[in-house]
Amino acid sequence: MRLIVLFLLLTGGYAKAHQFTPTYPELEMSHIAGVYKAEMVLFNTREDIRYYEVNVFDEDWDPVRFAVESRVVPMDYQETKYITVYISKKESDKAKYICSKSKILLTVKEPSIVSSRICSKLK
Amino acid sequence: MKMKKLLLIPALAAATSTVSADIPITGFIESKCVIQSDTPGRFGNPTVDKLSTKAADGGVMPIIRYDIITASKYKAVITTPTNFSASPNLSDSVDWTSTTIAGQMSDAAMSVFNTNKAIYNNGHTTEFDLVKAGSVWFNVTSEAEYGVGKSFPSGNYTALIVAECIAK
Repeated sequence: MRLIVLFLLLTGGYAKAHQFTPTYPELEMSHIAGVYKAEMVLFNTREDIRYYEVNVFDEDWDPVRFAVESRVVPMDYQETKYITVYISKKESDKAKYICSKSKILLTVKEPSIVSSRICSKLK
Repeated sequence: MKMKKLLLIPALAAATSTVSADIPITGFIESKCVIQSDTPGRFGNPTVDKLSTKAADGGVMPIIRYDIITASKYKAVITTPTNFSASPNLSDSVDWTSTTIAGQMSDAAMSVFNTNKAIYNNGHTTEFDLVKAGSVWFNVTSEAEYGVGKSFPSGNYTALIVAECIAK
């Protein structure tokens, strides 16, 4: 059974999936002094989702200040985006989780919608 | 001389046609959690004051699939609706009840997800420790009951389930 799952994963057997990796990103120095960065990868195969929101939280799930090219990331179906999250040295001690969450458009009128959120934990 | 050159052409062609190169396909599987909206739910309306995703009530149960590459790296947190994200005007309160269970699973050992699940937030949030790798399908039921003796107004109703995967 594990082989079947592995095969599905390798052949891209995702119909309506949300992926956010790596699981344990590392903060490394950016080109700006006093600012760290984490490189994240977002992959969207949810046809019903066109936007994802990126956020950073501390251990108690309180928001942490960060910078990113766009906090709300427009995503096409089956698109992969590389996202660099910048966190100041001061905030880096607090930052624990980097999360991506699907955003549901008001125009979506399905009776039951699933909003997905995946959070990676900073090393 | 010309003849010799002409004879060389097929020889060269044969030589080039046998040139081959190994083109590698590489891949790397990293620890990750994938959330898939497998089956969108639908409310049934068995009585005038009730909306339910249960099959017995004429609804369709939403199913969310989680793929876990490495065991014990993530926890799944599923929160069921406590209000409608879109509905006609409602003048009375709505009472929400729900259940979330791990249904189909790629490894029978994943049944431990149900044994060790934690329920909080008045029964609306269920947390599963993803201690086994593989695929698991979470079945969600959601019921909304309107004020006593009142019927839900006609119109479209939409409710939101939040499925989370959080690295441990």
